[in-house]
Amino acid sequence: MRVKYFAGFGAIVLAAAISWALSTGTQAQDIQSIKIGWSISKTGPFAAGASVTTLPNYQVWVKDVNDAGGIMLKSIGKKVKIEVIEYDDRSNSEEMIKAVERLATQDKVDFILPPWSTGLNLAAAPVFDRLGYPQLAVTANSNRAVELSKRWPGLTFWLGLPSELVDGLVETLVKLRKDGKIGDKVAMASVSDQFGIEQSTAAREGLKKGGFNLVYDKSYPFGTQDMQPVLKDAMAASPDTFIAFSYPPDTLGITDTAKVLGFNPKVFFVGVGTAFPIYKGKFGDSAEGVMGIGGSNADLPGIKNYIQHHKTIIGREPDRWASPITYASLQVLQQAIERVGKIDRPAIIKEINTGSFDTIIGKVKLVDGQNKNTWAVGQWQGANFYGIAPVSKEGARAPIVPKPAWK
Amino acid sequence: MTLAFDIVLSGLILGGMYALTAMGLTLQYGVARIMNLSYGEFLVAAAFFAYWMFSSLAVSPLLGLIVILPLAFVANWAIYQIVLMPLVRRSKNRDMLEVDSILATFGLLFVIQGVMLVVFGGQYYSYSYLSIPLTLFGTTVAANRLLALVFALVIGLVVYLALKHTRTGTAIRAVAVNPVSAQLSAIDVRAAAAFAYALGGALVAAGGVLVSMFLTFNAAMGVAFTMKALIVVIMGGVGNMMGALVAGLLLGVAETAVARLVDPGLTLAVTFALFLVVLLVRPTGLFGRPTS
Amino acid sequence: MNLRNLPWFVLGAVIVMLIAGFPLIASGYHLALGISYLYFTVLATAWALFSGPTRYISLATVAFFGIGAYTVAVFGELLPWPLVLLAAGIIGVGVALVVGLSTLRLSGIYFVIFTFGLAELIRQLVTWYEVNIHGSVGRYIFVAISRNEIYWQLLALVVLVFLVGWLIGRSRLGLALRVIGEDETVARHAGIDTTKAKLTLFAISAFFMTLTGAVMAPRWTYIDPAIAFSPMLSFQVVIMALLGGAGSLIGPVLGVIPLVILFDVLSAYFPNYFSILLGIVFILIVYVLPHGVVGFLQKHWPRRSQAPAIAILRPAARRSLLAVEQLRKSFGGLVAVDDLSFTIEPGEIVGLIGPNGSGKTTVLNLISGALRPDSGEVRFKGQPIVGLNPYRVARLGVARTFQLVRVLPTMSVIENVISAIAHRERPLWGASAERTAGGLLMRVGLTDKAALHAGQLTYIDQKRLELARALALEPEVLLLDEWLAGLNPTELGEGIALIRSLQDGGLTIILVEHVMDAIRSLCGRCIVMNAGKKIADGPPATALADREVVRAYLGEADA
Repeated sequence: MRVKYFAGFGAIVLAAAISWALSTGTQAQDIQSIKIGWSISKTGPFAAGASVTTLPNYQVWVKDVNDAGGIMLKSIGKKVKIEVIEYDDRSNSEEMIKAVERLATQDKVDFILPPWSTGLNLAAAPVFDRLGYPQLAVTANSNRAVELSKRWPGLTFWLGLPSELVDGLVETLVKLRKDGKIGDKVAMASVSDQFGIEQSTAAREGLKKGGFNLVYDKSYPFGTQDMQPVLKDAMAASPDTFIAFSYPPDTLGITDTAKVLGFNPKVFFVGVGTAFPIYKGKFGDSAEGVMGIGGSNADLPGIKNYIQHHKTIIGREPDRWASPITYASLQVLQQAIERVGKIDRPAIIKEINTGSFDTIIGKVKLVDGQNKNTWAVGQWQGANFYGIAPVSKEGARAPIVPKPAWK
Repeated sequence: MTLAFDIVLSGLILGGMYALTAMGLTLQYGVARIMNLSYGEFLVAAAFFAYWMFSSLAVSPLLGLIVILPLAFVANWAIYQIVLMPLVRRSKNRDMLEVDSILATFGLLFVIQGVMLVVFGGQYYSYSYLSIPLTLFGTTVAANRLLALVFALVIGLVVYLALKHTRTGTAIRAVAVNPVSAQLSAIDVRAAAAFAYALGGALVAAGGVLVSMFLTFNAAMGVAFTMKALIVVIMGGVGNMMGALVAGLLLGVAETAVARLVDPGLTLAVTFALFLVVLLVRPTGLFGRPTS
Repeated sequence: MNLRNLPWFVLGAVIVMLIAGFPLIASGYHLALGISYLYFTVLATAWALFSGPTRYISLATVAFFGIGAYTVAVFGELLPWPLVLLAAGIIGVGVALVVGLSTLRLSGIYFVIFTFGLAELIRQLVTWYEVNIHGSVGRYIFVAISRNEIYWQLLALVVLVFLVGWLIGRSRLGLALRVIGEDETVARHAGIDTTKAKLTLFAISAFFMTLTGAVMAPRWTYIDPAIAFSPMLSFQVVIMALLGGAGSLIGPVLGVIPLVILFDVLSAYFPNYFSILLGIVFILIVYVLPHGVVGFLQKHWPRRSQAPAIAILRPAARRSLLAVEQLRKSFGGLVAVDDLSFTIEPGEIVGLIGPNGSGKTTVLNLISGALRPDSGEVRFKGQPIVGLNPYRVARLGVARTFQLVRVLPTMSVIENVISAIAHRERPLWGASAERTAGGLLMRVGLTDKAALHAGQLTYIDQKRLELARALALEPEVLLLDEWLAGLNPTELGEGIALIRSLQDGGLTIILVEHVMDAIRSLCGRCIVMNAGKKIADGPPATALADREVVRAYLGEADA
């Protein structure tokens, strides 16, 4: 027994020693570079989302900034390049917290870019807040966003409240019905996780208020591989509008199955993934007229440029919803740093929250920590996924309804 | 009546996919005694291969099978000989090999997944092949999914008959039932196990190619397939091809029926509940023999 | 706690105090790393509490961890923190008991898969509940608990889990579990209520896992089923515990520390190749450290063993009576025991003989409770014992040995015997158990081999050990299944003398045997079986000369 206890004690000492040795944080004397770190899901279930929406935009932005000479710091009167430190959080809250702590206390980075997903961003929020870093949580989506931004002032939200997305959808449907393009029968399916549930709960209320008749309303588990049962029952209810609050694999699966079944309602709306280039790639001309979450105004020169640019650097096009916004959020960060002129994080947080910024998606001004420059509903029209709602938003296209037949 | 028929047909098609993706595991686990946790990664790797051939070389996935199946067979045979053989040699009994193989293939899972992440990145992949409607007795089904069911039935039947009526097949069954006694019948147990493992690898590759025609996949998705396959294999009775086929079809029909008649939200819960009930009532699976 | 252990407790207390002081000087990252060490230590140690001795690989860790986290999410803002933890512990233990009762009869890979399925099922049910009843899947956790408090709570759990583990290791329960892990059949026949033992440990282990989940939850602000029930956690814990060595209390820690460091180094320095490198390391671990770090240490620094104290065996025999009535058992179409009846008087040695396949061993299995007859009754001192669990039969006073000798190979010889002493009707524990065991070993001639592993014994010594273990139950009836087979003439002589001395001590013995010399010299009476039926019953000379018996043994022509 004696040997084992010694071994145990030795191991603990060793662990402590190695833990200290792992801390290779260097002290910044003169500002040679701005250190930016991120912890992102390179492995695990979140890798798919992070590698579409988040990581490529971080990479594109860093390259863009460094190609332009860096970020201008007035306080020292010169441009400073970005130095990147990245960790893999393995889609795990605890690992992410550890990585963020490490970025802040060991690597002593100047800024930390947020992880992917609502869950990881909310887990990160108290840590960012305690360490005093701004958190531009683009991929976090919560109806309690305003309250959360108050609790943690550095935390900002960028995709719009889930309820706003649904409001945009309902608004579109109300208008279409008023114009006599659709009737009031709606079928709805949703993935049973936070996103699907919040959206469908909000939609259920909104549709009821709008006087629509919900003829089918079910949720299905994440990872469902066969959408036929859902679509057959939805189809049997012969709705004018079909709504699915789905994730990329099911978005593609639902569309594929609808096509096979010849289910072609006047409005066909699917969730996350509709705005992905893979959607257009898989369905080609059949994508025409499909509505989905998000969208962008591809006629803006900034967006046009950005799409081209992203394709050159990453090798594929960005998605047309959260990707441009992610890039825009980084532009906001850069401009805020430059306006403050030095690494003064409280001042930068204040500037992000109060300033007004020019980005590829147009003008951005946060209200209560919320970005208001968002599209709720988009539609594939030709080669692009254009924003169509909120209807009042500048650049909103008129929807193509009824949706053309599957090709 | 039409609804019932619709449910059964759609359910069989879904179940065909489950069975197809589980048959390889029943050979690998049932005969070679390798509890292969990296099974789903091999499936996804085959899907990526089919995707690559389709999008870069414009080779149809079905044609691609001609290349992929032998390749998968050889690759799995090599993995058995190089990675797993030391464990087989070292293990004194079945339980030890099971534990060791769980740990080793858990490592293998990470290696293969890591390679796919480096090559393809984490994002989703999907393409369309044979995604055309067919009408069978008044029910619309997708041609590619129907094809997966047909493959499952054909593979299940062919392998079942081969196991029953060929010399190698008899050897494999003997090893599956009792490796020690099989040795006494002058069967080279390790060769038979390696063959079964490799054959299982080829079958899972076939499954990967077929599901790639209609499922969206990414590098991190293998575990989901492994787990579904495990459930099917255990339910059907370890090492039993017919069992895997029937269990797969049963799960498919049960899930579809629940989705249509009760609530699509409960499909997965029903799968696990069904699985747990089978395990409690017949721990050796629907078609398994009692072990001791 | 005695004086011998005191220095270790003092050392332990000092280490705990040092670890407890860590947050006061640590940076955020080091504290996070410390939290990782601690929570994996609790999980891996708790896992090994159950899975180490029983060798049941459980993948249900995350099921309990997630339950704990969800308990906090639901009650966190409603109840004071200690009550939240209490609720989590109660729920975890409750689920473990329900699950354990229904599943612990599964073994091997079926248990592995079942526990995995269980974690997924709970996750699906939670999701379904949240979607349909609660109306929202994610839950926010705004409990005001600082990082340091989480760290200290985890440290408290570590101390507690080690303390509980240490106590269990010294208790009868701990021994029972190790016997189960070695050979569950032997455990049952040694008088151990295997279900109760496994269930108790499963619940204790689940208790710690649930509490860990509850303590960790406030760190994440927000949980949904995907976060709380991530199956990866279960696998990580298994790997860590096995790497360290699940067989000992300190083992899992030795796996936790290197792996936490490894995960951290890999994801920091090779974020793009994390998976590949991690996989290669896992595979190497399996090759290089098949028995974990502890196994490696023990191999290179074998532990010294103490010779047991020896005492005189107290004769363990009283009046007894066994009656077998119309016993019947068939396997498929084969009737192995066909309406067999006989009685055994107290103090007798009865030979149960017959050609191979005549059903002799099946009869022993039916008497000892290993098998349940299709019909018929077995009465022990007038009391029906058919349908009782083997451990109940053993405790009533019917002990057995096995045809193919079954010792517990990796446990020491004396522990093999103590396993029965500690679970018999009148159990002994501690020094008195060791004394009794020493006496039994002396009786069978194994005194000088008491500290060896049972697996190191020769075949004849293993048979002796099995006999000692059976005697340790203080039986009134002893069932010996070909106990004398395979002995050389000298050993046979010793064996016969030993059995006779047992009879002299008042024991009643049923002897299934092919060695006719032994039958003739020992048995006052012989029951001859053929094809499941009794064909002769009487003194050996008469019974063996019976025409039908000769025909059964030698075939028709010689009769």
